[in-house]
Amino acid sequence: MTVQPAMPKCWRPESKPHKFCPGCGHGLVLKALGEAIDELGIQDRVVFGCDIGCSLLAWDFFNVDSIQTHHGRTTPVMVGIKRANPDLICIAYMGDGGGYAIGSQHLVNSASRNEKITVLLALNTVYAMTGGQMAPTTMPDQKAETSPYGRDPEESGYPTQGPEMVAAIAREGSYVARGTTVNMRQLKSYIKKALENQMEGNGFSFVEALAGCPTNWRTNAEKTWNFLQKDMPKYFKVGELKDPGANEKEGQ
Amino acid sequence: MAVEFKPRTLELDKGQWTLFPGLCKGCGLCIEKCPKKCIAWAKVLGIYGTPSVEANNDCIACGICQTVCPDCAINVIKNKAEGNSKSAIS
Repeated sequence: MTVQPAMPKCWRPESKPHKFCPGCGHGLVLKALGEAIDELGIQDRVVFGCDIGCSLLAWDFFNVDSIQTHHGRTTPVMVGIKRANPDLICIAYMGDGGGYAIGSQHLVNSASRNEKITVLLALNTVYAMTGGQMAPTTMPDQKAETSPYGRDPEESGYPTQGPEMVAAIAREGSYVARGTTVNMRQLKSYIKKALENQMEGNGFSFVEALAGCPTNWRTNAEKTWNFLQKDMPKYFKVGELKDPGANEKEGQ
Repeated sequence: MAVEFKPRTLELDKGQWTLFPGLCKGCGLCIEKCPKKCIAWAKVLGIYGTPSVEANNDCIACGICQTVCPDCAINVIKNKAEGNSKSAIS
């Protein structure tokens, strides 16, 4: 057999090339997730739920049990599956529109109830599937389809800080982090820690990943990386906000 | 059923650099991320009819292009140590 692509083993090769746009950050986030699943060896126990929005294009992405839910309702569906069968490892995958706009109530309430699921959220600052409208996470002065002169914080507020919000209300034992597709190793280690946190039954795990959207940002490859590396970290600080493992180390 | 992708392998000095035109969407993220700036557009077309990419002999087989490719269209295999020791002596 000739050289074959270095895809994670839990990816489904029949559905590749995947349905995302060229340069889309979803592919990178799902690559990190796939590698984390491979390394933990949990492919047979994972249930993958995807939201409405661009994230729904991942419905046939993995060779794992997948479900595609209503917009913003991925978190409660995964909570239900986890409660029905606690042996399963439930991953809710969504974009910033599904997580912080229509689904924020579910995200917040699941976090405060400390449900033992993992939420993985790709943040690209716009509603990508519908054509790049302004989202709660659009940054001030960033031009989007419905903010042609740039987002005015006086009128429409500042971008939602998701992990900070979840970390503020989540109980002890939860894991909250923000990774970026610029640093794939770090993102993979965050996702792996989040999955391990769920497997140990500690509590809610939440990872946000900064992802690029060249189609709706109207950027070429160079500007896409610049936006991800320079502009986005001004409002979205990369790092771990809550880590139960770190507390144990301090106590020792 | 195992799916096979048709590789286009370039035998470079430091390693084996393979691109899968059936997966490459021509986003160009790898071109920007390459530390040696040795990846450029190729004549071979990718899956969407856009140019795919190719590396030249400046490549050090670091594998960053493989890491940042959202479609897993690049596979880099570094040559074994003998190639490196040779270059270290000369």
